[in-house]
Amino acid sequence: MATIADIEKLTAWLSATDIAMLELRGAGGTIRLTRRDKGIDVHRAQSSDEAVAEVSGETIKAKTPGVFLHGHPLHQEPLAGCGNEVKAGDLVGLLRIGSLLLPVRAPRDGVIEGYWAEDGAAVGYGAPLIELAASESER
Amino acid sequence: MIEVLSSSALATVQDLGRFGAFKWGVGSSGAMDPLALAAGNLLVGNPVGAVAIEMQVFPFEVRFEQPCRFAITGADCAARLDGRPLLPWWVTRAETGQVLKLGLPQQGRWRACRAYLCVAGGIDVPLVLGSRSTQLRGAFGGYEGRALRQGDRLPLQPRNSADGPVDYGIVAPALSMPREVDGTIAIRALPAAEYEEFTAPSRAAFWQSNWRITPQADRYGYRFAGPTLTRATSADLRSHGIMPGVIQVPHGGQPIVQMRDAQPSGGYPKIATVIDADLWRLGQAPIGSHIRFVETTWEEAVAARSVVDEWLREVARSLRSNCPSPEAS
Repeated sequence: MATIADIEKLTAWLSATDIAMLELRGAGGTIRLTRRDKGIDVHRAQSSDEAVAEVSGETIKAKTPGVFLHGHPLHQEPLAGCGNEVKAGDLVGLLRIGSLLLPVRAPRDGVIEGYWAEDGAAVGYGAPLIELAASESER
Repeated sequence: MIEVLSSSALATVQDLGRFGAFKWGVGSSGAMDPLALAAGNLLVGNPVGAVAIEMQVFPFEVRFEQPCRFAITGADCAARLDGRPLLPWWVTRAETGQVLKLGLPQQGRWRACRAYLCVAGGIDVPLVLGSRSTQLRGAFGGYEGRALRQGDRLPLQPRNSADGPVDYGIVAPALSMPREVDGTIAIRALPAAEYEEFTAPSRAAFWQSNWRITPQADRYGYRFAGPTLTRATSADLRSHGIMPGVIQVPHGGQPIVQMRDAQPSGGYPKIATVIDADLWRLGQAPIGSHIRFVETTWEEAVAARSVVDEWLREVARSLRSNCPSPEAS
């Protein structure tokens, strides 16, 4: 587990980079270092965050930490709204890291049942993003 | 090779521009939105100044005759590859025979009018006077010194590799660096040599009015419509050197901003000059839209340039650390 000295070292290091958020995970819990205008916020992730992270099966999870976007920044519409059918490989969201946008794709055919993370929410690695239900034809 | 399928005129091959040839009376040419060109090149692992296709009349269609990684930046034109929708400012791989079609610019969160097709390695056209941009007035540079036509087959740089990272994008700079006054696009400008010769009400009107971009707006220059600007003197000027960004006021009192294909000399009085850091914004402002000129200083103009450069550096860093390319050196 990280000591306070470790956190201070990481905070100083983070200040000198473009990295928006650093998440540390260990057996004892999760700590998030988030960059603000001036300085770094240190936040101990709540136990409810952990509980949500346990959800699996049909849940699409973040493959990298970043800011979760429901739609492309230039578009008004979400990439895949609630209740919409998607095919395996379809874009269902984006993860933004600085200016970079990475795709969140549906792992299989299904229906978007809901979003675990709000549009614009900072999410950590493995955070649940979207709940994908089996499509009508499969039920 | 990339084959041009549409007959739409006015698409040209451009890089960042031909600088240093003004002494021979050769204007700069280059992308109207140099930031979209530079960012598109970074997306596919090119140097910022690699050659791309600038499109401004839509729909526009090309066919890839070899596998190719590409990015489309600038205006969001609801591009499709063999009918499959692509995101704007996004890297995709095309296979041999696939057709890329750009539709009309979308009225989304950013109204823009020019799109750039950047391919890994860049388009292979000869270097003329230090640039590969099309010099339309002189009919040299670019692809045969002219706008593209149906049936043109553009060669890609031999170092082009279709293998490399794909399926990622960036946030358009218009969203990262928005600049508006009362909901109107703000274009920063410096007072120019004849500024003081305009009447006080004209000078005030220049900064305070919303200027409409008239249909006489192209790569050569943008003519604006708004209040009439009056010069207190009627003395004629000798012909003198001018650059993209220079705002001339001819006898009618309606300003003209010189753009990338402007001739390098003129004789009209100059009220102001659009700063380099904001020329891309103007290059994307569509006909019929309104802009506001905002007075700035030399120091702010230089600082604004650093903000643009820093945005490009941040894009390059993000791409390097998250999408490592095997060909990156």
